[in-house]
Amino acid sequence: MSDSAVSEVDTLPETAEPARPRRDPAKLVRTAAWLALLVVLLALPLYLDAAWLKAGQYMMIGAVGAIGLTLVVGQAGQLSLAHAFFLLAGGTAYTVLSGPTGDDRVIGFGLDPGLSLLGAVAVAALLGLAFAPVAGRLRGIYLGVASLALVFLGLYFGQSAEELTGGTSTGRTPAPFSLFGFPFTNDGPQLALLGVPIRAAERMWYLFLLLTVIAFVIARGAAGGRVGRSWRAVRDNEAAAAVMGVSVLRAKAGAFAVSSAYGGLAGAMTVLWFDILKPDESEFGTYGINVSIAFLAMVIIGGLGSVPGALVGALIVNGLPQVLALYSADLGWFSGTGDGALTPVLVSSFVYGAAIILVVLFEPGGLAAIGRRITQRRFRRQPPEEP
Amino acid sequence: MKRTHLAAALAVVLTLAACSTKAGDSGSSGSDSSGVKTGKGVTATEVTLGVMTDKSGVFKNLGLGVTQGNELWAKDFNAAGGACGRQVKLEEVDHGYKADTAKTLYPQIEPKVLGFVQLLGSPVVAALKQNLATDKAVAAPASWSSELLDNPYVMIVGTTYDVEMIDGLAYLQEQGLIKDGDTIGHVYIDGEYGKNGLRGSQFYAKKHNLTVKEVKITSTDSDLTNVVTGLKGAGVKAIALTTTPAQTGSAVAANKALGLNVPVLGNNPTFDPALLKSPAAGALDKLTVVASSVPFSADLPKAKDVAAKYKAAYKETPNGGVPYGYAVGEVWGAVLKKACDNKDLTRDGIAAALKQTTSVSTDDLVAALDFSKPGTPATRQVYAATPDATAEGGVRYVKPLFEAPEAKEYVAPHQK
Amino acid sequence: MNTFLQLVVNGLGKGAVFALLALGFVIIFKATEVVNFAHGSLVLFGGYLVVVTRDALGWVGASLVGIVSAGVLGLLVERLLLSRSRHADANSLALLTIGVDVMVTEEIVRRLGVTLPFLGGAWDAKPFQLGGITLFRTHLVALGVAAVLITAFWLAFKYSNWGVAMRAQAENREAAALMGIRSSRVTATAWLVAGLLAGVAVLFIATQDFSGAGLSRGTHSIALAAFPAAILGGLDSTAGAVVGGLVVGLVEALSAQYVSFDFSKSAVFLVMLVVLVVRPSGLFGTRERTRV
Repeated sequence: MSDSAVSEVDTLPETAEPARPRRDPAKLVRTAAWLALLVVLLALPLYLDAAWLKAGQYMMIGAVGAIGLTLVVGQAGQLSLAHAFFLLAGGTAYTVLSGPTGDDRVIGFGLDPGLSLLGAVAVAALLGLAFAPVAGRLRGIYLGVASLALVFLGLYFGQSAEELTGGTSTGRTPAPFSLFGFPFTNDGPQLALLGVPIRAAERMWYLFLLLTVIAFVIARGAAGGRVGRSWRAVRDNEAAAAVMGVSVLRAKAGAFAVSSAYGGLAGAMTVLWFDILKPDESEFGTYGINVSIAFLAMVIIGGLGSVPGALVGALIVNGLPQVLALYSADLGWFSGTGDGALTPVLVSSFVYGAAIILVVLFEPGGLAAIGRRITQRRFRRQPPEEP
Repeated sequence: MKRTHLAAALAVVLTLAACSTKAGDSGSSGSDSSGVKTGKGVTATEVTLGVMTDKSGVFKNLGLGVTQGNELWAKDFNAAGGACGRQVKLEEVDHGYKADTAKTLYPQIEPKVLGFVQLLGSPVVAALKQNLATDKAVAAPASWSSELLDNPYVMIVGTTYDVEMIDGLAYLQEQGLIKDGDTIGHVYIDGEYGKNGLRGSQFYAKKHNLTVKEVKITSTDSDLTNVVTGLKGAGVKAIALTTTPAQTGSAVAANKALGLNVPVLGNNPTFDPALLKSPAAGALDKLTVVASSVPFSADLPKAKDVAAKYKAAYKETPNGGVPYGYAVGEVWGAVLKKACDNKDLTRDGIAAALKQTTSVSTDDLVAALDFSKPGTPATRQVYAATPDATAEGGVRYVKPLFEAPEAKEYVAPHQK
Repeated sequence: MNTFLQLVVNGLGKGAVFALLALGFVIIFKATEVVNFAHGSLVLFGGYLVVVTRDALGWVGASLVGIVSAGVLGLLVERLLLSRSRHADANSLALLTIGVDVMVTEEIVRRLGVTLPFLGGAWDAKPFQLGGITLFRTHLVALGVAAVLITAFWLAFKYSNWGVAMRAQAENREAAALMGIRSSRVTATAWLVAGLLAGVAVLFIATQDFSGAGLSRGTHSIALAAFPAAILGGLDSTAGAVVGGLVVGLVEALSAQYVSFDFSKSAVFLVMLVVLVVRPSGLFGTRERTRV
């Protein structure tokens, strides 16, 4: 649930004070906090090595995908396990659109990478729209399992359509990203910020950061606006929503389209991160159901429907294994090699599995609800908000 | 309230400003006193080589074996004086057979090493292909697909899956088990590994007018009974496998259970000694494995030497990865020595030295290797072996190193 | 023709095991409306206990231990986790089972390491020929066991107190509670029974005949087939679960041969999707009606 939507509902005019909204200090602090975070993120490439930047970029991919998923699952109440499919679609679309035209093994359209990125998002959104009629007929868990089917089917087609994806055997390399001619690799103009050379890793960091910020702002806007309200109405009671004049089918279709667009963006970011598009395993690969489940975990942990929560969820689920792997290389943890050794991936899986259980047991609103409770206590002068 | 938050933000910014940025971190390069140019991963006393292996995932047994082979080689190489007066040090990281972990660990290890003596896992190799080319780091992937040969920095120690398959089919024909005009089945994993093996069988089939019934599977499929049922219906006279050991077990078991009982030919990764203890053990007699590196138990002097050193140093059950890891080390050793002779121990120097390596001997651990022709497998010779519970390492060879004439004619995908 | 018959036999044999899994799945759903994403981990847990006790107790003893422990795990999940959730919305509980699945599966896979223990009985890997068709004993035993268990379950469901209680609760929870039916007892037994069935299923899955592989992460993936099977049949229909299981087994075998092997996994889900589009609550499920 979105804070700003709630705030619009229960602000009553105060007789004693002039018409200054009560939440002013809280909102200002919150915005200041977000800005401070942004400043820190902008400055990080000056301090972190390429390996850590790489890990951070991976977390941002998770963030973009998770934001999309939390909108469709949390705001619109549609359980989707198909996110991995949209990642694959977006990654393939980006690679095909921006790929070289002359290659005889794979198809490419030679478009500008920036346009290809937009194209990838559009393609994914269209696929989401295409699935929406099916989604409209199904309820609850039936929808969840049906969406699982998309992942399997998507991978099957991805693996068969070798002219598009390069096949499972070799895959294909996506065009390196460039914006208005400025390449996001080590080539092009040699930039330096405060003496730190801005090369591929740093440039990709800034690119991903920009994409994440855009994704975040749009999502917050959608959740707080009319669209978000219609989604929540459909989620809470379809019949009542229909009675109130919300077109249920349109709302559901819109939710799917938006979330798949986000998935497509995350997919394009994924192939840029890996420097390769390769549709591999259906059960524990880059586009398999394990990925759909990971995104769902991010969304549950963060709090269904909460966009900031999705960010934190992504940090935990995508970030933890990377961070542990990097630390273990440095500190020599997890160096056991025998049967049953603990590994970063294993530990992270335990952590997020446990986190899901704890969240559902004790705080189904996820970290977002916990965060709200903490901020409420800080502002005890005002009456507590309805969660 | 506002003030404390602003204060906190300010504090963070100031701390960041106070920490030094990474400006000014430059690479290490230059030359040493005897005029040898040095670069990343080389100091006055040491040369560091990278090992990106699987110590915790699905291939950890193989990864462990190869790593131990690398370590045994490094010890011997250093004892014999090293290269340019420098000792070899191995920097090992574990990616757990996950491409995303490998991708993140790579920037951490890359600045510290001159090249890679081990890169395990085809998804890992695929993910890092671009990086290796950009960073010009020579790497020896534990993957034998000739598709990798379009990258001049990739050093495949041994022959590739397609050539293995050609040699193997030639062996079967020589033994009278198949003849021109027969139908054979080929079960392969969709991916770099399987597709490469298939390329070989397709080439051989064209030469000998064989019909190949191709069946594509994924690496997680475990039950091949339906597949073998279909092959039986097609009347195959032999089955070729480019699969995982577990799948090999299922295929040979089905081969026997369904009463098909045809010879089965597998690429080198299709067999693992653990199969001898599985329910499929009774069906393994029909399996022939082709590989360009010797089994652990081979009775060649060098193999025996490595085996003895292994048993003295490690307590785990050995597998074929050990002699292979040692052989890769030996090739690196030869390349390092050549680079030293050229007085160039930089990344470029190693790449150049590799190209000049026309014949490396690994004392028959692997066939003689020639890296001078980019895009071509370094050798086209293989051993043929069959599972044997009494042999250490689980296989004994039935035909020593050989090369079929068809293999000599075969043109690899990136061969110029 | 022989190939076709062989495939049908293979398919039905595997279908019987899928039916057992789907049945357990549906029992849980009927009692609690929760979709149990952790079903695969119940399977793995039972299998793991068999592996651990096999040397000490022999196959029969170990199998009993495995079956019972899978049941106990199901019971524990229900008692300790599901019933404790104060905010007991069924969808959230389903998500909770995802968390359980991740943890249990990872832990067991970690303990198994690279060993792939086969769990079959003495009948495994000893097929025999009958008129040109190979019959795998494991499949035959599985068919027999499944028939017995399903019949027993159906009888219990129709005539025993527990069966009546469960049907009453599935029909109308409040009314059933008012009639003195202890909801907690019904749900706990449902999870227990589902676990027991999963424990039986694993003895057939991790065999040479069925899957060609021992207990491993792959076993969990195979158990995933319970989903389309149960959904296809209708999540609240026990008959549907059995039909669904058999359909899944047949679709897998036939599509592997007549379309292509790698399509067979997707084929099962595709069939499920088609069925859902036509009948959104599955073949035999009750259609949800919203009253305004």
